Amino acid sequence: MTTTAAAPPPAGVVPSSPLRKGGVLRPLRSFRILLPFAALIAVWWAIWASSEFSPQVLVSPVAVWHAFLHLVSYGVLAEYASTSLTMIGFAALLSLVVGVPIGFAVGVNRYAAHALEGFLRFLQGISGIAWLPLAIIWFGFTHTTTLVIVVYTLIVPIVFNTMIGVRAIPEPYMLALRSLGASRLRMVKDVYLPGALPSIVVGLRLGMGYGWRALIAAEMLVRKGGLGDLIFGARTFGQIDRIITGMIVIGCLYVVVDRLIVQPIENLTVARWGVLRQ
Amino acid sequence: MADDIGPSSRDKIVVSGLRHFFDSAGGSVQATDRVDLAIRAGEFVTLVGPSGCGKTTLLKALAGFIRPTEGTILCDGAPVRGPGRERGVVFQELAILPWRTVRRNIGHGLEIARRPRAEREATVARLIELTGLAGFEDRYPHELSGGMRQRVAVARTWAADPDVILMDEPFAAVDAMTRLTLQEELVRLCAATAKTVFFITHSVDEAVFLTDRVLVMTRRPGRIKAVIDVPGRASGRDWESFKVDAAMQAIVEQVLRLVREERGAATPAAAAGAPA
Amino acid sequence: MSDAAIERGPAGSGGGPGGRSGPRRTLQQVVWRLLPLTPFALVLLAWVAYWVIARPSAATLPAVQDVAAALWELAVKGELAIHVLASLWRLFLGVALGVATGVIGGFIVGLNKPIAQFLSPLIVFFNAISGIVWLPLVIGWLGIGTALAVFLIWNTVFFIVFQNTVLGVQLVPQVYEQGVQALGGGRWQTLSSVILPGALPYILTGLRSGLGFGWRALIAAELVGATTGLGQMIFGATEYHRSDIIIGGCLLIGLIAIAMDRWLLLPIEQRTIERWGLVFDARKAE
Repeated sequence: MTTTAAAPPPAGVVPSSPLRKGGVLRPLRSFRILLPFAALIAVWWAIWASSEFSPQVLVSPVAVWHAFLHLVSYGVLAEYASTSLTMIGFAALLSLVVGVPIGFAVGVNRYAAHALEGFLRFLQGISGIAWLPLAIIWFGFTHTTTLVIVVYTLIVPIVFNTMIGVRAIPEPYMLALRSLGASRLRMVKDVYLPGALPSIVVGLRLGMGYGWRALIAAEMLVRKGGLGDLIFGARTFGQIDRIITGMIVIGCLYVVVDRLIVQPIENLTVARWGVLRQ
Repeated sequence: MADDIGPSSRDKIVVSGLRHFFDSAGGSVQATDRVDLAIRAGEFVTLVGPSGCGKTTLLKALAGFIRPTEGTILCDGAPVRGPGRERGVVFQELAILPWRTVRRNIGHGLEIARRPRAEREATVARLIELTGLAGFEDRYPHELSGGMRQRVAVARTWAADPDVILMDEPFAAVDAMTRLTLQEELVRLCAATAKTVFFITHSVDEAVFLTDRVLVMTRRPGRIKAVIDVPGRASGRDWESFKVDAAMQAIVEQVLRLVREERGAATPAAAAGAPA
Repeated sequence: MSDAAIERGPAGSGGGPGGRSGPRRTLQQVVWRLLPLTPFALVLLAWVAYWVIARPSAATLPAVQDVAAALWELAVKGELAIHVLASLWRLFLGVALGVATGVIGGFIVGLNKPIAQFLSPLIVFFNAISGIVWLPLVIGWLGIGTALAVFLIWNTVFFIVFQNTVLGVQLVPQVYEQGVQALGGGRWQTLSSVILPGALPYILTGLRSGLGFGWRALIAAELVGATTGLGQMIFGATEYHRSDIIIGGCLLIGLIAIAMDRWLLLPIEQRTIERWGLVFDARKAE
């Protein structure tokens, strides 16, 4: 008979957090976010001012600002940016519509999943950009080419993560519903979809990261609009100010889309349903 | 009942006027109330108290991991400024390194102290014997059970040969059966080596079984409420005899009552019994 | 893309299901091993079928044997070797630089909370434009060729390795450090015996991801700005509508990616992380 003085012991009086030094990737207040960029711009300006760089090599932050205003006022920036954003949005939609069902269909069967896994890795190793030359031969220098490449890039992680999501659903859930007499469709709706959703969203987020870059690269080669076209075109004319403007816009747009749209979705699903694997 | 805890020249550790506050989301939280205590060289002292009373804070201050907001801690007369070799620590959670074998974990302290290889190997071998880890020398921690891992932790601390050993509920995460075994092993280990030990626990049984003196802490913010001598450690202890020894069980009851008071759960039956 | 295998078959190395003994189980194990080849076989089959039925022009979809022949021809001429070696050399340089800077930077930042917080927004932003987006700017500085490719690879690899290293350093349980401090260990001991091995799983993950991404960034860089290399090989073939070279090149690119991962990185992982039994959150920094 053991006598204990109290309830199960806590880890210690002073609460210890696993991230003892704070997270790197979660900026919170605007000042904290803006200050490092201000410092960077200051350094940039100092470098530019202190050396004799020709405008072909580097321009001042001021010049970039002017280029930005110019592009905005003529509606050029909006046009190129919207081309890119439309493309990534459409590609994401298409990839989900095609990729998720494939992921489900394959994921439910462990043999199929095992069979497909290596193939998907192989495809990812090739990357969408490598297929660009072939796509150009087939579809020419058109938006179709760009779309095909971006969808390819997006669909692989989506299918893969859907598969993982489905396989990670604990068997008891599926058996329980089946023993209640659920039809195939109901299984999909009530078990597979919600169960795999966190993983799917993670896959979407990963895919968007790769896809955005693949999009820019494709636009650089296809030259039919979009931000990649903008910065590559500016290269031809040596317009460094435009190139840098384009780069900043590309970066900001990605951060905005990722942090303000995709990540909240991920947090919502993951937080509500929990990450089911491992 | 309260023992004389004034400092003397044989004191290994002296804590005076220690109070600690820490910052949290809701403002400043007081972890401990004024704590004064002295631990003599070679003593085994246990500290019991309800959850959150500040036991671990006190231990961390003794170890040098935190600087108390108020008060001083002297070890061998010198103020404690940070962690160090002379104050070994056995933690509650897994603290031995997963990427080192049992052997290399135990010898780590000696490695740091740059002891010659032969000495290191001899000490490690001796401790492996003493802690019953023979045969597991080249395993990695993830291959061992919880009890074995804590044995490695104890061996590691003992191998570094500190004068003072601080133990923060080291057996709390171990299953009940193994726990009893580990406690008996600890008693034997302390008999074989002359160490000053400060041991925190929730378990009153454990606290009385292992110790020369039990300190009882109040609930948060904690201070030392009572000190109870437990004679007879030098002649060895084992659970079988402990359980039937009337004197020992009376002490356990006494300590239990004191702790229960802190939790506000004093029972009429306990109040009726006469204190030892 | 997560590196977690979807399923490890039970009973032995990647074996199939069941606990049935004897030849039946061996057969199942063999089937399990061969399964990953089926999609490739199916694609091959579809390719041949389409070619036989629809007889497309050589420029659109060459026959399987044409692709093999084209590759063979390039190999024999020694051109293939030149391209592959050029690409691998650039990859090696870029990855080496990326890993070195990423790990060192990651340690400095990971151990230093104020710096980590200050740099965090910058890291996020530059991560968003890592790789090919720098091409138009850097091509003016470095011209086309190896320097450009190495820069782009470095850029890609650095951020991945850096972020993973920072994460790894931050996630080393503090109690390990305290344990070593209580043994008398100072800053250097803590760093070498606790932080470095503790962060290693994450660093290796970063290395593995970085290698994959670096390879892809390399190909993209070579498409536009190089005179040799696999990327240039397939882009150059576009002009002459040599789809056979393009397809062959792409397949080779995929094969090399898999080979590197399987024979270079997996052994490293096995000797360290798996030996230490370290399992960690699969949602690593990408």
